[in-house]
Amino acid sequence: MIEVNDVTVRFGGVVALNAVQASFSQPVSGIIGPNGAGKTTLMNVLSGFVQVHSGSVICQGVNLLSMAPHKRAKWGLRRSFQKEEIANDLTVLENVLVQADHVPGNTADKLAQVHDLLAFVGMADKTDTPGRSLNSFERRLTDIAKCMAGQPRLVMFDEPAGGLSVDETQRLGDLILQVHDRTGAQVLVIDHDVELISRICSETLVLDFGKRIAFGPTRDVLADPKVKSAYLGTEEV
Amino acid sequence: MRLWHITPSGWAGLIFAALAFFLFPALAGNLWLSVFISTGCFTIAVAGVSFMYARLGMVSLTQVGLMGLGGWVMLRLNHAYGLPFEVNLILAALVTMVCGWIMALPAMRMRGLYLALVTLMAAGGLEILFATYQFPNGGDGFWGVKTGSAAPFTRPALATTPEAYLRYVVVIALLCFLLIEAHRRMKPGRAWAMIRRSEAAAMAAGVNVTFYKTWAFGIAGLLAGVAGGLLAGSLGLLDDATFRASESVLIFALAVVGGARYWYGALIAATLYRILPALLNNWGVDADLSFVIFGAGLLHAVITAPDGIAGQIAGALKARKAAKGRAS
Ligand SMILES: Nc1ncnc2c1ncn2[C@@H]1O[C@H](COP(=O)(O)OP(=O)(O)O)[C@@H](O)[C@H]1O
Ligand SMILES: [Mg+2]
Repeated sequence: MIEVNDVTVRFGGVVALNAVQASFSQPVSGIIGPNGAGKTTLMNVLSGFVQVHSGSVICQGVNLLSMAPHKRAKWGLRRSFQKEEIANDLTVLENVLVQADHVPGNTADKLAQVHDLLAFVGMADKTDTPGRSLNSFERRLTDIAKCMAGQPRLVMFDEPAGGLSVDETQRLGDLILQVHDRTGAQVLVIDHDVELISRICSETLVLDFGKRIAFGPTRDVLADPKVKSAYLGTEEV
Repeated sequence: MRLWHITPSGWAGLIFAALAFFLFPALAGNLWLSVFISTGCFTIAVAGVSFMYARLGMVSLTQVGLMGLGGWVMLRLNHAYGLPFEVNLILAALVTMVCGWIMALPAMRMRGLYLALVTLMAAGGLEILFATYQFPNGGDGFWGVKTGSAAPFTRPALATTPEAYLRYVVVIALLCFLLIEAHRRMKPGRAWAMIRRSEAAAMAAGVNVTFYKTWAFGIAGLLAGVAGGLLAGSLGLLDDATFRASESVLIFALAVVGGARYWYGALIAATLYRILPALLNNWGVDADLSFVIFGAGLLHAVITAPDGIAGQIAGALKARKAAKGRAS
């Protein structure tokens, strides 16, 4: 359960989030909206990179906003970035291991888990490949494994399918659907790809110009005329 | 994540250390022995700056000043108590490490140029301290300075001759490089790599950015302390002119010219810094010519070789291997 209560974020004169209210209760939920709608900003609020002007976020009973960003990761928050952030000079294994490094436990168990996760996403034969030699799909796969390392409670993906082909997006969607089953974590997915969202998310929040314009079961939300008009003319290519 | 794996570059380092251990002391005369010893000390110091720059992209312009601090503590302890050399060296390194941390506190809130400026200011402060109070030479009081000849300095029991001391420095330099490499391969190395990628990504991975940056400053300080302590041990006394702020700037520039990402980059930098001027002197050329050469090297690095001379060597070796692979 993630309760976003009346969250407002301002950047100078720009109101990036305007009293956004939503409470996500499904295993996999989505956030959609045109470019600049405030999706990434909401994710940044949850990870602690952006300060709210007002509002609160309660996540599985914990007041998330009172924790420092790295403490949130220790607590179990995981996220991927819109522009993936794989370290070029670390191997695939190390890129995932760094996420497990900062939760309690012994190294052997962590290594075993990381190998498991890399096998799960299909990167088992690339464990020793340096980040710089990965293509964009492999980077996304590594990101997914990374978000599952440690004991995640909430996993957020920011446009995970950006720049991927239809087949790759399909495969990525399959993996994201399994994140909850394998880790028990609640999953939030931001994407432009309405098809992807409607396939994997059972409930969806729609933002436009920082405002919530719809929230509820994905099918109902996508049928909403307000949502259709928000996407009309601003359809992403 | 193979902790004990030895890379080709690692083998080259071990072989070079062995050569330096067995050959250099046997071949060099007294004058060159002291040049090689100080080259070894500066290699350790450069390793510290290179490490900060290559792993975290942080520019530190205090390294030589911190070296002076390590040397000061070393001399002070030597003249005050009869402790063994190794104990003094460890204490000097630890004190310098703590000073590195203290310096890191204001620096931590800054990035890029501002960080460099803060470290440069610290170097300036140390320069003034050293010029005002000089280095301890067996006198009384806290500063321990007297006029006339210096009190004797106790070299390590293992290394009382200059030849043995050079070997001693080589072994410690090797240990310092192993310390850096071990860090690179473990949790801190992964955390630093994430920080360099982006601080947000590092925080999202659970890395306490402030803590790991401070740790890096501590290691650079530790290495400076070891380098300064060893340099003090080589001469038995130190001169404040060695530790001017401008030397710290020069050392950083040379670390970039040499190649901050490679162990031999630090060696190239220290060689340019210490051996080149000595060679020029030997040939009867004004040693200031080395500054012209440094300048040219820096321009070269900035324009064509972001990974320094060591990066070009690594690139050339790779190209040769690739060509061989294609031929066979
Ligand atoms: N760090 C920031 N500083 C200033 N403005 C920002 C910042 N981050 C986002 N914005 C602005 O907030 C709005 C929402 O951005 P964002 O959340 O990135 O949109 P989305 O991810 O939905 O495309 C945009 O108008 C953007 O320009
Ligand atoms: Mg975005």
